[in-house]
Amino acid sequence: MEQEYYVCTGCALLCDDIEIEVTDNKLSKVNNACLKGVARLKECAKPAECKVDGSNVNIDDAIKEASSILKNAPNPLIFGMGNSTTGAQKKAIELAKRTNAYIDDTSSFCQGPVIEAILGDRIRTCTLDEVKDYADVIVYWGADPSNSHPRHLSKYTYFPRGKERQRGWEEDRTAICIDVRKSDTAIICGDKFYQIPPQADEELIDALVSALSGKVPKVSFGMGPKKILELANLLKKAKFGVVCVGLGLIYSLSDIEPLVKLMNKLNDVSNFHLIPMVGQFNMRGFDHNLHEETGYINRARFQESGVEHGPQCSIVELLRTKNVDAALVIGSDPMSSLPGSIAKELLDIPVITIDPCMTMTSKKAKVAIASVTSGAECGGTAIRMDGVEVEFKPMIPTDSLSDEEILSRIMEAL
Amino acid sequence: MGFGQFLAAPEYDLKIITYRDIFQNTALESSRGGEEYLNRSAVIKIDVNDMKKMGFKEKSNVILKNSFARVVVSVQLSEYEEAHEGIAYMTNSPWSNALVSADDGTGVPKFKMITATISDAKDEKITTYDI
Repeated sequence: MEQEYYVCTGCALLCDDIEIEVTDNKLSKVNNACLKGVARLKECAKPAECKVDGSNVNIDDAIKEASSILKNAPNPLIFGMGNSTTGAQKKAIELAKRTNAYIDDTSSFCQGPVIEAILGDRIRTCTLDEVKDYADVIVYWGADPSNSHPRHLSKYTYFPRGKERQRGWEEDRTAICIDVRKSDTAIICGDKFYQIPPQADEELIDALVSALSGKVPKVSFGMGPKKILELANLLKKAKFGVVCVGLGLIYSLSDIEPLVKLMNKLNDVSNFHLIPMVGQFNMRGFDHNLHEETGYINRARFQESGVEHGPQCSIVELLRTKNVDAALVIGSDPMSSLPGSIAKELLDIPVITIDPCMTMTSKKAKVAIASVTSGAECGGTAIRMDGVEVEFKPMIPTDSLSDEEILSRIMEAL
Repeated sequence: MGFGQFLAAPEYDLKIITYRDIFQNTALESSRGGEEYLNRSAVIKIDVNDMKKMGFKEKSNVILKNSFARVVVSVQLSEYEEAHEGIAYMTNSPWSNALVSADDGTGVPKFKMITATISDAKDEKITTYDI
């Protein structure tokens, strides 16, 4: 029998070579996936239950209560959706329009500026398949894929053989790591690890732009001009270069402009692309979908008069300024991932969660709705970190509802 | 209870850098709220010279404090060979997030710019969250 392959929804690499074994309609084995993928697909320690005010209810009552909260809140927020299918994300956007809600996702405080620049054609990008086939210089900047996306190096960017990279990592590829700490990825990069102090990324970018312009580069920290020129030369000589941008770099810059400047300079003298190291499997999909609908990737509010956009519509600012009176959180755990001083504001408003697992947020929620794990129990489409659309089928059957079905039911009940 | 109980423990300034750890990340799914997740999250890793200077014992409890929060975590020696005095590492978790500022109006918390003081927690237990 021909082997059937599935897609892992553990992260935005969306690895498409997953083999599974099913026993009694449950996943008994997930092969080829990384630790994180296996955990996401089959090891949810505490499956979610439908609850209202902490008491178990059936899903119909939970949906009815959720709908009532959203209907009566003048300023609701819909947040998350990075672990939902494209179909569910489109439903969430529709729900935001119906309820004049704020809508935001985790890109609001991570890779958003980079995705916005890519969608606005300000930064040149490429696909992971192109990296596999052609890339000879790969830069991991403020990124540690060995921990965040464990198969990134082995499946696409460093170790595999590609069309024009038959000698693979041994001879055909140079991996460079720029980071504030010697991460596991930095160790793989060996003597091509460039350690910088915290918040020094912009200074190194300026120095690299100088070096690529034929000037003597200078920085205020202990990296001499020779070392910076050596790095600039490696970048300049690339036939097909890619910068894999992680949160270490994003959080160090006050805006995206230094990165745009570096990419432009690299493309004056060489051939460079950028891929954001997106975390949740379909966060980029949400940004594409909202962009298609509103021209903005996140931080939006639907109103009768049009769409408002800006930092004031971000989850962090909305909670900090107490400008929302209800929140629908889909496949995300802001109580755990936001700063404590911001997350605590969620305790003062009615929160609805839709999640396959119990989370810190769902434990405090007024309404918790149990959904299925996208990719394991329901199929759909998603956008990979490099912008490629990936379709996936469910691994096991279920009678439970997907995020998309739950959102449809909430809308029907409005 | 000795006299030392009433003396304030000295506080030292630290910059904390957060990082991803595949095993901690996996434990978030498979041991949410469990011992493994706690053991991999409620931890600060500091430089060997800082450990000596500050007089902490490996795996003893320390207080991390700034204007946003006060949390108790376990202190451990960093595995890194290069010296990084004054800089400590924590994985992303509610323990590190408690110390993050987010009040500049940009909507982007300063996840990678945490400053806090560290001091001996004496008999205090590790901060727990209802995860």
